[in-house]
Amino acid sequence: MTDVNQRDIGKAMINAAALVLVLSYALPYVYLLMTSLKPAADVQQIPPHFFPESISFENFREVLVNSTLPHAFANSLIVAVLTTILSLILALPAAYVATQYRRKLTVVFLLFALVTRMVPAVSLGVPLFQLLKSLGLLDTVPGLVLAHTSTAVPLALLLLAAFFEGIPRDLEEAARMDGCTRFQAFRKIILPVMKSGIAITALFSFIASWNEFLYALLLTSENSKTAPIVIAEYNSVFGLAWGPMTAAAVVYSLPVIAITLALQKQIIGGLTFGAVKG
Amino acid sequence: MAEISLNKINKIYGDNFHAIHDLTFDIKDGEFMVFVGPSGCGKSTALRMIAGLESISSGELRIGGRIVNDVDPKDRDIAMVFQSYALYPHKTVRENIAFPLLMAGLDKAEIAARVEAAARTLELTPHLDRKPAHLSGGQRQRVAMGRAIVRQPAAFLMDEPLSNLDAKLRVQMRAEIASLQRNLKVTTIYVTHDQVEAMTMGDRVAVLKGGVLQQVDTPQNLYSRPVNMFVAAFIGSPSMNLYEATLDGTELKLGSNTFNIPASVFAQRPSLNGAIRRHLVVGIRPEHMNDATLHPASAEIKAHVKLVEALGSEAMVHLVIDAPWIDAGDPDAASDIGHERTAVARFSPKSSVRADDNARVAIAAEELHFFDPQTRKSLW
Repeated sequence: MTDVNQRDIGKAMINAAALVLVLSYALPYVYLLMTSLKPAADVQQIPPHFFPESISFENFREVLVNSTLPHAFANSLIVAVLTTILSLILALPAAYVATQYRRKLTVVFLLFALVTRMVPAVSLGVPLFQLLKSLGLLDTVPGLVLAHTSTAVPLALLLLAAFFEGIPRDLEEAARMDGCTRFQAFRKIILPVMKSGIAITALFSFIASWNEFLYALLLTSENSKTAPIVIAEYNSVFGLAWGPMTAAAVVYSLPVIAITLALQKQIIGGLTFGAVKG
Repeated sequence: MAEISLNKINKIYGDNFHAIHDLTFDIKDGEFMVFVGPSGCGKSTALRMIAGLESISSGELRIGGRIVNDVDPKDRDIAMVFQSYALYPHKTVRENIAFPLLMAGLDKAEIAARVEAAARTLELTPHLDRKPAHLSGGQRQRVAMGRAIVRQPAAFLMDEPLSNLDAKLRVQMRAEIASLQRNLKVTTIYVTHDQVEAMTMGDRVAVLKGGVLQQVDTPQNLYSRPVNMFVAAFIGSPSMNLYEATLDGTELKLGSNTFNIPASVFAQRPSLNGAIRRHLVVGIRPEHMNDATLHPASAEIKAHVKLVEALGSEAMVHLVIDAPWIDAGDPDAASDIGHERTAVARFSPKSSVRADDNARVAIAAEELHFFDPQTRKSLW
């Protein structure tokens, strides 16, 4: 066998392995999508079929018209967007200072951020509940935003710190020599250079808030309930309502997919950030 | 344009590391001053203090007569070229060069005119709409220069701006920067660890070591009248060879070799007169040693040839001389020293000496340097 043939076979095997990996990741989502498109009668069919025998949108109609999902969906969106904005506003300057002006205290600060990520969410649930209760923010969007921000900020801080590490200190100094104050240098030079890092951090913060279940369950009841809670509550007298539940789950996954596709370029850029010297 | 004056400037970091000791000298309006020294000598720290990027622990810094110790970098009216160029990667060449003007609040027409003019001077016009990532090293260096000159500042500060370029481009850019500075007549401080750059570019050169200024002088004076062993060995390439020797009257004993020192040396260095078995350090520049079979001289020593590097125009001959070798105190050079400490001589290419030969080496005795072994200062 020639070298070229061997190389082709090697490539094909790598591609096949990649395909298997992608399919194993995609399979549960494809099954979810297929189930959501099945008519109510087919959903609980035994044995179950992977593909729907006929395509029906009745589950989608049910969750979008006759349920509280649209309201919860709006809550989720507002909470996730506000959490993302607030986390970035707090974490961007903090991460920049912690990485560019490295002192003992800033190292401790970053370590502390890491430690807060290690504490299980359920351990913080009770104190958060007490805090929000005393502030009168239980079952409110601002209350949930604050709760989500408390977990999103350390995540954003650690992600942004990693990106800032890749930015040479000279850039800020050059901007200061060119007539900027420290803040102007940060705003006009550093932030645009960090575009990919910010996009990735925003995406992760958004997804973390969007997917968050435990705090939403503990800290909301009626008014500010988010979509994951509503989806989990799809019960009927016959048990779980799989059809509407899967349709709601599909609808709920769409914004994240859309944002990921929209920010694709920045995400890829961000993942390879600093890997190659410019 | 401005005069820059440093008066007893000190830099002490939080961990009590004293980086700069009482740095004092004046840089004249329009002068090209080079800071040179080995790694960690404090040259970049001194430059950054002048830029305002590093605080001054004590002392007084004046730019154009104004005390600027506590003035923000943006308000010092100076431009800086960084070693990494520090070009803004998200901006085009045009936007990079225009940025300081934009920050200064100039109107659009003025900015455009100045950017075009700077681009013409630096031959960057065809690249104005490209991003730094798409430029070569030399072009990036020019953009950094453009960003500095476009402001027409009182002074330029340059922190090893050529160290990222390859050797050939460095020689070319060295000449370009020097000629640009001469045309613009802007006071310039240029930091480098390369003494060839320092000697060829500077009107005056400040040699630093361990945060202490050793000597500020013209390149020629640094070469011919170094104040101490460190400057003597640091300036000149290859370095001056330093050996322990004994002077008795007019006779110099260098290991097992003995030769006479001419009267002209004693006239230049009166402190050597009437020496009786005086221990001192003698400095011999490589260019003042030659093959005695081709260039006979009154002063001659015997040495063992360790290695010959034929460079075409000359031959670098590494010699073992049987006298105690002296370390000049250059931390960068110390790491290059092998087990055997050799002297380097610059022989004529016609020399036929080969490795392992015992050679007769002619010494230009009137060009010798002498130092006090205790104070390490030059003896005059």
